[in-house]
Amino acid sequence: MNDDILLNVENLCQYFKSGSSELKAVDNISFSVRKGEVFGLVGESGCGKTTTGRSVIRLYNITSGNIYFKGTRIAAGTRALEEEYKRARLEREHMLSRARKEGTDVTDCVRKADAELERLHEEIKAAKADNKHCNKQYAEEEIRRVRQYFSPLLTACTEEERDTLEKKYKEALRVASKERITNKIQMIFQDPIASLNPRMTVRDIIAEGLIIKGIRDKKYIDEQVYKMLDLVGLSPEHSGRYPHEFSGGQRQRIGIARAIIMQPELIIADEPISALDVSIQAQIINLINDLRNELELTVLFIAHDLSVVKYFSDRIAVMYYGKIVELAGSDELFRHPLHPYTRSLLSAIPLPDPVYEKKRKRIPYKPLLAHDYSTEPPCFREICDGHFVLCNGAEYSEYRKRIEGKA
Amino acid sequence: MNKKLEVKDLRISFRTANGKVQAVRDISFELYENETLAIVGESGSGKSVTTRAILGISALNAIIENGEILYDGDDLLKYTENEFQKMRGDKIAMIFQDPMSSLNPIVKVGKQLTEAMLLKSRSGKKEARRDFFRILRALQSAASVGTKEKELFRIFAVTEKRATKLENVYKQARENAEEALSRVDNLLVAFEKKEATLIQRECSGILRYAGACENRFLPLFSSEEFKNILQLIKSGQREKENFTKLSELFNDQLEKPAPDFFALAFFELRSYEQTTDAFESKLSETVAAAAKDSHEMRTEKREAFCRVLRQAQENLAKEWDKGPIYALSRELSKGIKECIDPVCVEKDSTEYTFAGCIHTCCERYFLAKKKNAAELKKFEKRTKRRNKLIAKGKTPEWNVPPAATYETALLKKRMLEAISALLQFYEKEKAAPFDSQKRAESIVAYLKNKASQTTVRLNKNAAKRRAIRLLNEVGIPEPEKRYAQYPFQLSGGQRQRIVIAIALSADPDVLICDEPTTALDVTIQAQILELINKIKRERNLSVIFITHDLGVVANIADRIAVMYAGKIVEYGKSEEIFYSPAHPYTWALLSSVPDLESSGKLEAIPGTPPNMIYPPQGDAFAERNRYAMEIDFKEQPPMFRITETHYAATWLLHPLAPKVEIPQAIKDRIRRMKEGNMR
Repeated sequence: MNDDILLNVENLCQYFKSGSSELKAVDNISFSVRKGEVFGLVGESGCGKTTTGRSVIRLYNITSGNIYFKGTRIAAGTRALEEEYKRARLEREHMLSRARKEGTDVTDCVRKADAELERLHEEIKAAKADNKHCNKQYAEEEIRRVRQYFSPLLTACTEEERDTLEKKYKEALRVASKERITNKIQMIFQDPIASLNPRMTVRDIIAEGLIIKGIRDKKYIDEQVYKMLDLVGLSPEHSGRYPHEFSGGQRQRIGIARAIIMQPELIIADEPISALDVSIQAQIINLINDLRNELELTVLFIAHDLSVVKYFSDRIAVMYYGKIVELAGSDELFRHPLHPYTRSLLSAIPLPDPVYEKKRKRIPYKPLLAHDYSTEPPCFREICDGHFVLCNGAEYSEYRKRIEGKA
Repeated sequence: MNKKLEVKDLRISFRTANGKVQAVRDISFELYENETLAIVGESGSGKSVTTRAILGISALNAIIENGEILYDGDDLLKYTENEFQKMRGDKIAMIFQDPMSSLNPIVKVGKQLTEAMLLKSRSGKKEARRDFFRILRALQSAASVGTKEKELFRIFAVTEKRATKLENVYKQARENAEEALSRVDNLLVAFEKKEATLIQRECSGILRYAGACENRFLPLFSSEEFKNILQLIKSGQREKENFTKLSELFNDQLEKPAPDFFALAFFELRSYEQTTDAFESKLSETVAAAAKDSHEMRTEKREAFCRVLRQAQENLAKEWDKGPIYALSRELSKGIKECIDPVCVEKDSTEYTFAGCIHTCCERYFLAKKKNAAELKKFEKRTKRRNKLIAKGKTPEWNVPPAATYETALLKKRMLEAISALLQFYEKEKAAPFDSQKRAESIVAYLKNKASQTTVRLNKNAAKRRAIRLLNEVGIPEPEKRYAQYPFQLSGGQRQRIVIAIALSADPDVLICDEPTTALDVTIQAQILELINKIKRERNLSVIFITHDLGVVANIADRIAVMYAGKIVEYGKSEEIFYSPAHPYTWALLSSVPDLESSGKLEAIPGTPPNMIYPPQGDAFAERNRYAMEIDFKEQPPMFRITETHYAATWLLHPLAPKVEIPQAIKDRIRRMKEGNMR
């Protein structure tokens, strides 16, 4: 696994049952987020970008695919594997029945098929285990680490120090046993009003994560809360108030403080500014940007406002109906948009320029007209360095030509 | 350009537990015909409050302290709930921010759409008839009109109504033909795709509509050729050629212009004049004569009334006593009624609102006299209590809300102003030459319009057809299916389109859009904006567009008003606001939005808007303003004129103020935009 990749999403599918049919909210997407970058996820409402964010933070049980965080598999779905398993078994039976009819010897093939079945079974088992136990394993590792740190100290220390040290050791062990890898991913929600409990004070809201983590030291918690409040630009006296006493921008700041107190490495910002006034939006963007530099955060930024995403992100993925249709560096994406949906999206951005606006022509996107996938289904291909587009062979060559013509 | 709507010195406050919140503070603006005025500002700047007042749906605790909202010669602030109910949707319609909460969840989309149409057709008929005959009577009673001319008016009334009836029959048939044609077009597409079920469905629709478009004004549809083709299709020969032929036939017929219904109706009545042309010219001549007479009579009356007004001015300047002042107000109200020209169809607000204004000023003045003392007493008591607490060494958590007193001097001034405005208006009218021909034209057009309204009959089926056409117009796919669905079955963008369709269903004059795109994403937002623009052009609407996002506005607005803390701080054409903004708040708004080229730190506006219970003494934006000067904290800046159409309220424009440059980020952007436009 590459070291600087923090989050790796492989073939993620997230289906929801709706009545008798299934809604494919996220359909087989893959991307990876590098350490320290801001990864933008854009698309119209209902395209599955929020679902992706929530799947990453394990708010949903994913249907199939894998999510790796820091090289550890934190979520795995088994649907695809199970289907493959079923298919392999059916194939094996077919083969056997055919062999019986024709009387040929297929022991070799059967052995191969059995091995394949065995492999798939193991994989499914591993996925289920990872899905269930990834946090436990992480906690065990943490405990081991704590033990390793304390054992030389404990043997070396004098009789007087022993008591305090043992106390410390026990506390550390307890905290470590509650440690979860998913704590390192935190989320900032879209609606600051709906995401804050109206009956908790700001201090309780921000400290809740620490308390769940098992920290009992009141003084430490208070210290941390004040520090976070200070970081997000609120003052300590705000900690005794309730969320309704704050304006929209301040509420969003509380939401951010709640997320960063867990010392996360990855922040999923799910449209953090779309519910705010324009003048406040800039404050929040600046705040997230500052925090990102200060705390060395990686951000998965989900939004539908393209100009904000462009301003904020290093790489951008464009989603359309559960699929990533284009993924590129942000400058590259805006300079050479290839997929027709991306072009349509870019043509819809309003600019504060009346003369330009009067001339602007929106390019509508009609998937049935734009693509002909009857002969060859599309897949995700790299057009040029770091620029991926969902396309089939014919489109691929066309896009290549276009980009070479421009470059 | 005609003024559609005018807001003058509007001041609105809200009574709350903590005190009086001054949401809107003395704002004035005009809305012209076929233009879009955008009101931009943060939440809480009073933009929504203003528009709600226009529709008469202010919150219950709102106090409208001062001002006028003039529409069609009436002051909307003096409307009763019933009068408002007649105007809402019909004259002024609103698109709300949140489509989910502005649609009724348990009523189907179709019913919500047709409701206003049906209601309007029912009530509009009565009203139109009343207006029609009122004008006719006024014309008849004008001095020089003889019996022969009176007969002419009668014939006109009958002919016009007959003509509109004929026209309606024609329109209905034509509508059916258009519907059938659109279905044929669909069918041809279906043939391409070879979809059997679609062909089956479209076919029955075509037969239904094509059968209903037979009309004596559309001769082709009763011809043998047409009937033969229909027969062929009915008998099951559903080949492509047949439909192509059918489509050609429809196109041929629909391209032909409509006949002159007035002439047709006139000949049907077989009256004594030879041709309709002669009749019409005769009519307009008579109308012109009548209008002239009426005008002359009013001019005389006005002169007499002017003397009364001048006398009243003197009386009102002195101390006010209840008895004589009320008598005076009654006298003035009576006088103005006689001075209004009944045949003049363009109502002028100065004349029409005069009586109401005088009356309310009087009432409020004496009410204020009665109540002010009590309010002041209350205020004193509270201050005393607070001072006592402070003297005891406690710090009370509450502040003393300022006394809610009416300003009697202001009311007095307003009344005098109304009178002098009326006097000025009369003088101007007198000086202007009277064009009787033009007046006659407008009257005849008005009468025709009213006559067509009286004969329109909209039944449920017709309303449904119109609703489906509207749904098509706002870009909803499969309108027939959507018609029978509930709002929650639709997506956000579609819901917003439904809301727009409902707002348009009763053909309003003025459309108010209260952040219609805030809840939507970029693509849908662009579609909705295009839609509003298109509809505005096609229907000649005036639009008030409220938003907090300046980027959205560039596309749609002709003029922009930037609001902050209940005041308009800058006001100008959209090019002026974007290319040469003058107020620091506009700068801040512009620079806080990243565009595609911006990099580096965004210029956020520090702090939050002021608490409007205690509005700042000076410029409300001073505390968040980097360029604030000493005077900004002490005194409110007046509106400075920059160009004929561009105004801004900032002390920076004062000749004595230091020269302040527009922030670099905006300058760069404007330069970039101008370069980009050159290309």
